[in-house]
Amino acid sequence: MIIRKKYLFYVLAITSSFIAAAVTGLDSYVGGRPAFINDPWAFAFSLFFVGAIITLCITLLLSVPIHGKSIGAKILDPSFKRIRMIKKPELSYHLIAGVMNAINTVGYCYVVSVVQDPAVILSFSQMVILYLLIMESITEKDVPTLVEVQSSVIVTFGAILASISLKGELATNPLIVVFLIINPTWAIFSIYQRKLKIMKIQNKPNDSINIRFWNVVFSCVFTALILFVFDSCTSGGHLIAGVTAVISLEYFLLLGATMGITFFAYVLYIRSLGMGKASVNNAIRASTIFFAIPFSILLWQLGFITEYSTDPVMLIIKVIGIILIVMGIISFALTVVKAYIFVTVKTGRPLRETMQKLWNIRGVTHVTITTGEYDFVVKVSTRTLMKGYERIIKKLDEIDEVKKYRWASVLKDWEKI
Amino acid sequence: MQPGKSDKAIKEMRQIENVAKISIIAGEYDIVIRAQVKNLEELLDVTDKLQMIEGVNKTTTQIIEKEISLQ
Repeated sequence: MIIRKKYLFYVLAITSSFIAAAVTGLDSYVGGRPAFINDPWAFAFSLFFVGAIITLCITLLLSVPIHGKSIGAKILDPSFKRIRMIKKPELSYHLIAGVMNAINTVGYCYVVSVVQDPAVILSFSQMVILYLLIMESITEKDVPTLVEVQSSVIVTFGAILASISLKGELATNPLIVVFLIINPTWAIFSIYQRKLKIMKIQNKPNDSINIRFWNVVFSCVFTALILFVFDSCTSGGHLIAGVTAVISLEYFLLLGATMGITFFAYVLYIRSLGMGKASVNNAIRASTIFFAIPFSILLWQLGFITEYSTDPVMLIIKVIGIILIVMGIISFALTVVKAYIFVTVKTGRPLRETMQKLWNIRGVTHVTITTGEYDFVVKVSTRTLMKGYERIIKKLDEIDEVKKYRWASVLKDWEKI
Repeated sequence: MQPGKSDKAIKEMRQIENVAKISIIAGEYDIVIRAQVKNLEELLDVTDKLQMIEGVNKTTTQIIEKEISLQ
């Protein structure tokens, strides 16, 4: 089936957000259980320990072929064939993503055990978009435009307002952990997951199911290592507490449920990361806050969160926060200009060198050498047409090898899923 | 493309096997289609089916020899 690429991207990101909201609700419940309420370290280790087992089972199940195609390829990611060992070029990215996810999860476990309202926790984490924008401008061939900065600021302020609990409290310690630990590590984790997703493995696109499986394995190993060092230095027993907790069937099932659901949220998230910029993806994922509200109400109904205030001022602040987040997301989504440039080059110049020069132009997303009427088909993506002229056409004119080119703006596109 | 027949033609193009991406563009051409095929025989199938669609006046094929991509 071929659907509009933009819609597929949104469907993946929003579905992932919905599942993430459900998981945060469940995590809040598990994090508040007696074994974990005062020990986020043990909670994080137990999550990954059970997560590695559950993820292995799910990945093996998804590897079962039906009519020549694996179940995973049919229902989750067409690039997936079967569970496989990681390749050498992937290793360094997996190591970094694993360390970041391990640190991030310990921080997250601390926050869920202190702040039980999922809507508040998720609102905090939306501010990760600012870190991503800064890091993308450093690591990728891109510089944020005014629109991106504006949208990020709108989303961030919206998230701050929406994160004030209906009781009118703004917890400071968890907020510091979110800013200094959770958000930076999540930003780096996202960038490396994206790098893994856009990597080609034996000339085929990498698949999000194996990426997630190996990430959980590495995160589990790193969490165990961190806890081991921490326990040795402080004579603590967090690692043992984590292992002991999962022996209980009740905890194993609860942790298995949360990590099983998380698996699907992450696979969809990683897939959408391969389709759009990490910062835009995270902006869309800001919609998690909306989805978290019903789960917050559910937890409140179950008596797990203390009673909400019905103070109209607090409700208005919350609504303004949510509206700002939506505005930010919409302005992100509506401001991308894509185009094809058909390039003919002068003879007697090496094509590979010209290809590299074209690739070095900021905003270029694909360069293909082709046979036929043109020598190159270059695909570009920019926030505005003016920027397209300033950053792309001017640079193209400077390349001596280019004989002539034709610019063709994309008006609408579809992609196979 | 023949004017006025794009919408119906695109619907038919979306049904063709091995078509990975369709972009409507402004400029010399009207539509760019990316196809992923295993051999030239399959490419012939794609171009053949495209040319059978009502409203398609002319097709030009570019074969990718090498590609660098962010996605």
